[in-house]
Amino acid sequence: MSVDKSAILERLNPADSFTLAMDEEIRRDGLAGSLACYGLELANTPDIDALRQRIDEFGRRFPVARASLRQIGKRFYWCKRSDPPELFFQHHCPIGANEAEFRRATVDRIMNEKQPRESAAPLEFHLLAGPSENVFVMRWLHPFCDARGADLIIKYLCTADADQRQRFGHPETGPLVFEQLRKYRWWQKISLLLKGKRYIDRLDRLSSVQPLRHEQSPQRLEFAVRRLSEEQTERIVKLARQQVGLTGTSLYYIGCLMRALDKWRPDSPGEAYCVPYAFNLRKQRALSPVTGNHLSALFAQAPREIVKDRQKLFEHLKQQNAQVIRQQEDYAFLPLMWAGSWLSLAEYGKVLRLSYGSGQERSSFWFSDIGRLDLPADSFPGAEITDVFHACQVTSPPSLAFLNCIFRNRLTLSYNYVEPIADAETIDALHRLMLAELLGETD
Amino acid sequence: MKKKLRDFIFQELVFVAEPNQFGDDDDLLEAGLDSMGIMRLIMYIENEFGVTLPDTEIEPDNVQSFNALECWILRHKNS
Repeated sequence: MSVDKSAILERLNPADSFTLAMDEEIRRDGLAGSLACYGLELANTPDIDALRQRIDEFGRRFPVARASLRQIGKRFYWCKRSDPPELFFQHHCPIGANEAEFRRATVDRIMNEKQPRESAAPLEFHLLAGPSENVFVMRWLHPFCDARGADLIIKYLCTADADQRQRFGHPETGPLVFEQLRKYRWWQKISLLLKGKRYIDRLDRLSSVQPLRHEQSPQRLEFAVRRLSEEQTERIVKLARQQVGLTGTSLYYIGCLMRALDKWRPDSPGEAYCVPYAFNLRKQRALSPVTGNHLSALFAQAPREIVKDRQKLFEHLKQQNAQVIRQQEDYAFLPLMWAGSWLSLAEYGKVLRLSYGSGQERSSFWFSDIGRLDLPADSFPGAEITDVFHACQVTSPPSLAFLNCIFRNRLTLSYNYVEPIADAETIDALHRLMLAELLGETD
Repeated sequence: MKKKLRDFIFQELVFVAEPNQFGDDDDLLEAGLDSMGIMRLIMYIENEFGVTLPDTEIEPDNVQSFNALECWILRHKNS
């Protein structure tokens, strides 16, 4: 197929290719692809005109938001479309309908919409309006941006001052994966690549626990959001500080979920829990880059016998994390991503997902700590933000992705799971165990 | 020492619009220095200044400003 090269807006960077390979894997598993969403629950109907104006402005400033993903030769590119997709959609709850059900069904449809990758919109905004509930949902296809980029886009829409909005995307930089890789000479890159390979080999010596039973075919993504009180959140933050210190807050959530899963399904196969998590290459508080993925990956792994002992587990995760950073094994993933981006999506997906030794799934669950959101509650055009939620698609196996963030001093947990491999009831049971772990109410 | 710390933090870890306006006592944690950033900062300090900073001392009082960081490093450099 001939492609007009003048239509090319951007080439995917190695971290984009990494997320694209996972998009392909999710699609191969029969699901909608690597879609993610960031939802804002609003106290009232927002100022639609102001919102639409900012969305349109965003679309003009960042044309990739309305582009199409195309493969040219071995590489993938964002290309201009002759008929760019809409960015903003409004959904009105029918009179007399159950609002909660309307909201659930609409978000479910948004997150499970199956479309060919080439025609899927990279970014969409949806306003779900009802008599008493208003929810704003931003959905993106993962190669378009990462979670930090999504946060920047929401902040862009929440910035009233036009001059302040101009600051987003500045200073202009290239993909941060390349910026990092440029710091190494070619022989150092090779050494880093080998280090990365050895790091993965070491993880693969233990088979990964699969807490969910994959006896049925995956059908759709579902997610359950649980919000904790301010008191519970404060207690958890304090416990995290005590258990893993200032340098490893995310490890507290990972460790607690490992323990909750181990109690939930003690008979599930596997020798160790293995959890991938991304770290962002942007500087904290930077307003650029907005689009694209700028991350590298790390793994937290803990053998089952260690998971059973809470103190030992957190000490183990902390030491492991310190060791990985000391040895620069976190950056070792960068040349691996670069090398992987030259593989076919199918080959790359296999490398990313499957253990070299056993050929089984490497991840026990996916994890992302979105952190404390610094989005002012009164910044959304014409409506107060009362709560937030996040969701993301996940491959099957592991069929489980856990996301957490803190907004208005309350911890929000999002359990993303693939039906019918897990259901609401089993996730409820898991959450009860997780909450007890987070609050330190276990041995 | 503070110049090196400032360069590393502002070039690698935290974005501030006007680094020159950021005082030696201003709060780095408020400015966005997060757990992963602290970890990287400690690795940088250990390599650059040849000190070992004990894990048990990684607490807000020691990392929250350039002055606090300098005091912490000097305490171990001189010991």
